[in-house]
Amino acid sequence: MKQFFFLLLCAFFTTGLTQARDLPQSNLESYEAWDPETVHAFERILVQDGGRVKPIYTVSRFTLMSFSGKSRAKFETKDGEKHNLHYSEWMLNVLFRGEIAKDIPVFVVDNSEAVVQIGVSPKSKKRTVYSYNDLVPGRARLAELSAQYNEKHQKFIQSEKRDRQFELDPVEGMVRNLGGNISSFEFLVGQLGFARDGKILVNENILPQELLDLAAKTSPMKMLREMPMPEMSIDQLVRVIQSPPASDEAEKTLQDVFRLYFFFANTSRGLNLFPPQDREVETWLSASDVMIKGLESKEARPWCADQLESIEKLVDAEKEGEENFRSAIDSFVESQHALSDPAGEGLYVDQEISLYRSMPFHKALYFFVGAFLVLAFSWLAPGSTFGKIMLIIASALALAGLVFDVYGIWLRCIVRQRPPITNLYDTIIFITATAVFLGLLIELFTRISIGTLLAVIAGVGGMFLSIKYEAKEASDTMDPLVAVLDTNFWLATHVTIINIGYAAALAAAVIGVVYLGALYFSKLRSMSFDTFAKWHGIIFATVLVLFLIIKVPSDKALQYLALYLGIALVFYGATIPFRRESDASGDQKNFFRTLTRMNYGIICFCLLFSLVGTVLGGIWANYSWGRFWGWDPKENGALMICLWTLVILHGRMAGWIRDLGVHMQSIFLAIITTFSWWGVNNLGVGLHSYGFTEGVWGALYTSWAILGIFLFMGVVIWFSNRARKASRREAPASRKSTAAA
Amino acid sequence: MAKKPIDLSPGNWPQLIYRLFTSFKVATVVFVLMTLITLLGTLYQVEHGLHAAKERYFYSWIIVEKVWNIPLLVPGGMLLMWVLFINMTLGALVKVRKRWKGFGMLVGHLGMLMLLAGAFVTHKASSDGYMALYPGMKSNRVESYRDWQLEIMPLSEEGKAEKAWVLPADELQSIRSDEQRRYETADLPFDIVINGFSQNATPIPVSAPMASEANGKEIDGFKLSQQQTSKNAEQNLPGCYIELRPENGDPIETILWAGSFRFDPREKPMPFTFEVEGQKYGALLAKKTWVVPFEVELNEFIFERHPGISTARNYESRITRFEEGQPEKPVEIKMNEPMRYQGYTFFQESFGPQGSEPGDEMFSQFAVANNPADQWPLWSLVVTGIGMTLHFLIMLISFVVRSFTRPSKTTAS
Amino acid sequence: MNSFSKAISTCTLTAVLVAVTACNDSDMGPEGREIVIREIPEAHREFKLVDSARERFRYQSRPANSAGEQSTGPQLVYTTPEGWTDEGRSMMRDVNFTFGENGEGECYVARLPGAGGGLTANVNRWRGQMGAAPLSEEEIAALPKKPLFGQPATFLSVDGDFTGMGAGEAKKDYRLLGVILSAESSGAVFVKMTGPRELVEANAANFDLFVSSLDVSTGS
Repeated sequence: MKQFFFLLLCAFFTTGLTQARDLPQSNLESYEAWDPETVHAFERILVQDGGRVKPIYTVSRFTLMSFSGKSRAKFETKDGEKHNLHYSEWMLNVLFRGEIAKDIPVFVVDNSEAVVQIGVSPKSKKRTVYSYNDLVPGRARLAELSAQYNEKHQKFIQSEKRDRQFELDPVEGMVRNLGGNISSFEFLVGQLGFARDGKILVNENILPQELLDLAAKTSPMKMLREMPMPEMSIDQLVRVIQSPPASDEAEKTLQDVFRLYFFFANTSRGLNLFPPQDREVETWLSASDVMIKGLESKEARPWCADQLESIEKLVDAEKEGEENFRSAIDSFVESQHALSDPAGEGLYVDQEISLYRSMPFHKALYFFVGAFLVLAFSWLAPGSTFGKIMLIIASALALAGLVFDVYGIWLRCIVRQRPPITNLYDTIIFITATAVFLGLLIELFTRISIGTLLAVIAGVGGMFLSIKYEAKEASDTMDPLVAVLDTNFWLATHVTIINIGYAAALAAAVIGVVYLGALYFSKLRSMSFDTFAKWHGIIFATVLVLFLIIKVPSDKALQYLALYLGIALVFYGATIPFRRESDASGDQKNFFRTLTRMNYGIICFCLLFSLVGTVLGGIWANYSWGRFWGWDPKENGALMICLWTLVILHGRMAGWIRDLGVHMQSIFLAIITTFSWWGVNNLGVGLHSYGFTEGVWGALYTSWAILGIFLFMGVVIWFSNRARKASRREAPASRKSTAAA
Repeated sequence: MAKKPIDLSPGNWPQLIYRLFTSFKVATVVFVLMTLITLLGTLYQVEHGLHAAKERYFYSWIIVEKVWNIPLLVPGGMLLMWVLFINMTLGALVKVRKRWKGFGMLVGHLGMLMLLAGAFVTHKASSDGYMALYPGMKSNRVESYRDWQLEIMPLSEEGKAEKAWVLPADELQSIRSDEQRRYETADLPFDIVINGFSQNATPIPVSAPMASEANGKEIDGFKLSQQQTSKNAEQNLPGCYIELRPENGDPIETILWAGSFRFDPREKPMPFTFEVEGQKYGALLAKKTWVVPFEVELNEFIFERHPGISTARNYESRITRFEEGQPEKPVEIKMNEPMRYQGYTFFQESFGPQGSEPGDEMFSQFAVANNPADQWPLWSLVVTGIGMTLHFLIMLISFVVRSFTRPSKTTAS
Repeated sequence: MNSFSKAISTCTLTAVLVAVTACNDSDMGPEGREIVIREIPEAHREFKLVDSARERFRYQSRPANSAGEQSTGPQLVYTTPEGWTDEGRSMMRDVNFTFGENGEGECYVARLPGAGGGLTANVNRWRGQMGAAPLSEEEIAALPKKPLFGQPATFLSVDGDFTGMGAGEAKKDYRLLGVILSAESSGAVFVKMTGPRELVEANAANFDLFVSSLDVSTGS
């Protein structure tokens, strides 16, 4: 009975995480997938983007993420088939089969109000994914509104104290985002428009019919080769096309050519595919840059025309079957490498692709979740052989998760040729790895399942956070570094060490949470598993009803409940080992004392790394800015961590902090740590504000509220201990007095 | 555990003070308060800027913090660090029982004391300023970021001057906006009267609509309008009303404004000019300056961005250092690679003018620091590191020893 | 160590530290409260002599291009009339001002290579934007002239409802002031000011001031 109930809960928990959703509908009758080999060939095309050369694979990934918040495009066609496109296949469609891409739903809209604002009838009230063609009727209105909101947002950012009157409301923010996404999509689809013999696919209504006719007959490549265009700069071109129409027929044709040329030069911006001919120059050229360069100098025209022709060849080969297309892509990539390799660019493209393809952080998450479930099973029969085996399996799974995490970190080091941490995203995966490692190390020495629990909580939380963060930012996480960070020595020492300190502080807090939770629950002595289940059944039902009343979307509601249930199970699980101890020896204190010793050790470890890391940071600052300490927010954050560990250690020596105190303070230490990890970057001041993330404060407040619950539990325990001590002190005294009487 | 009553007789006071100052309790309280003021000082920066936060929280002895309009006294950073220093010296070095087990911690604390001492020396004895140069320019003069002084110089007809009378920044900046101060010197045929000094100000032509809001006196068609001080103290442009009173003749009044000094290293300062007894003088609000014992010439400034984006990849300056009696020395200064020479350190700090792009002609700006305790943190880290490592080693050894001896103990009991 | 010596050591340490701090605080360095003479380093002995407070407070004409574009050769210099806001240059506009309470007044300078489409076409284009009928060549030749870059330039003033480039609704009761200098050899220069009639009227003197101040610096 017990087991059955438990399994049910676990099953519920997992279904909550992997809840299937309705697929968005596409207007396509059917969809024919690309040959995977073609997709793989395409993935290797080099692009210079965000200051470095990377495979188009990476660009596709973050482009799709920024549109849809996901890394896959899932949809259903009218023939009832379900499709699930990888981002690189989606990008292949966008660039080479634009007419299909326009019908693939990828633009996520959280609130139908945003769609209503631009005059499109919403598909559904809740979060829905739209295709470009769904939204095209509202295109003009969208452009207008998003420009307006952009301006407002700029004012908001530039206003000294973030003037509230310029703050966008969520719907306005959504419209602004959507506007940006739609226009980047148009740029991508229109990117190769110059090579498609007049099939421009997006914004073609801008062009008058005579220019469309002209586009079918010629192309910028032909213009460069055949037309007697004078050398001119882009500014001059703009002036020419803005001058009143010529009366002379021949002159008018030339003017049309210029207008079309300008149109293509304008629409093919952004995707920098061409390594410059002169390798003294580092900046790659887009098709647009090539056209402008060709216009500016007659000398460069043959080379420019060749570049444009290479794209035309690709576009033509696509029509001649996938095999031809593949070999055309291969030779294009080869020609890119011929210029990029000697310059040391794009050398680790294959590693980068395999980093994303192998999805190490997702896999690590699966392993950690698996480890958690197995660990939960081990609590069914603690102390038994079954329990022990389960614990070993759980630890092994957690170790596998750690291996994947480390593998991912390792690949990222290789691709960038840098030490592991250079930005905020790196800190997440690194701190997770460190905390998991610490947990497993502790397990190795103590074998009471607490270390594994720590590893699993850190692993699941950290990997989940890293995946969410990546999807939310939806931009490359391996951007090149600003000048001051361009030092592998300090990145490897200061940054790594200080982050180990962070990890230790967070690990200490997990132990503290376990201690307080377990102690708190142990106060409710009679709580057997049945009571636990009953209680949670009641809580569950109430919350579910509540969610129904306030109309929380069902998938969200399930996620929340699953999350809660997960936490509750951890709680309950944490109490089991203690029960075992108490059952076996009748000595609860031993278990709690072990936890305290563990936590004390982690705090010492934290002090060592935080202190050394902070002082190293100061020394680095002295090398790069000329002062050891500048009271910069990030420096202050690190200092506060050091100070608080010192509070714990000295407070303990002073006799003010005992077991309970150590754990409560460790939770407080975690609050300080998250503040200096995430909070100070978002204060908007200081030298370390390398990354500003929206929505961080909300998440921080939530996490502090949760930690606050445990601190509250600690206070309750402290009061009850005092009361008990007082009563115990009174009891002997009264006995004495009766004896005297 | 029965508590002994504390002996409060005056004869025992030294003992009590000693116990108090050496206790872990004081250390704990100090750490808690330090964490608190660090947090407050960090949050304060958001509204008021770094400089104000430093002055209020970290370099102060006592802070008045208002919580719901109830003023609370909080010890400032300076006070806390002193108490910590005394506590650590007495508690961790003097009072502590000298035994092998505590040796690591003793060394560790010694390192931390060095760190605090270094902080003190830095705070008291270091100076920092900057030097901005266009390629081809050569200088030995360092300018202060924030400190402005009044300079009066006799000018030649071409606008040249070899010496200047200086009213030091400490004095000038201590003048309030509603205060009048008079200075005289035997070398100048006139007295100098300063009628109010504003930390941040801007001259406004009286014809402008905003001029009615400025309550200063109108001189030469301008009024000095006091501005709110900027979060970045370096951006403040002070101004003052000044009156020059010759021994015989009418007083000369004018407004001096820091904006007349220099925005770009190539600009020449624009002093207010006047004549007394046939000699032309200039009066100017100028940055406080000092000289380093060698000259620096900028040969080339290199600024690179990552291809296609605005993130700076590298800036570096190629300079030549000139010193009397020494051969010329070419040096490269870049991010994370400063030039250290004769106690001065030159850092690549920034460049200008604002909005420059690679390819433009740019000036390079060096932060010039002179800090006798420059390298102390490094040494203190080494000492602390050795101390902590020792401590862990000693703990490990004692743990191993104990685990070997334990079985015999248990059997004995 | 007995308690007495402990106490002594405490007090001594405290006293020494306080003394160190105190003595350091009172030490103002070489700079006292008095005026001191200082030699000016050789590289910094030159000063710029200016006549007026306007110039000293940087209210005098500033170059059209902000720093950073100095290398592009000759540039426009001019005086910014009081109350006008320099909006910086854009692709089509070399100088661009707004004025009036909400910046509804606008004044800009544009240059086109060649004759820029000819004088007649441009005058009539502007008249068209104000809803006025086109003028014949003779009528245009008879328009008043104002000096621009030391050459006689055609001046026109048109009242009407303004429909600018890209604007949807016409703006009622506007006035346009324009100066066109059109020459095959040096290219065409346009100075155009638009805004509500009263505002433009009030700024007519500023327009003249601005036009006459326009000059080309060869950017030493």
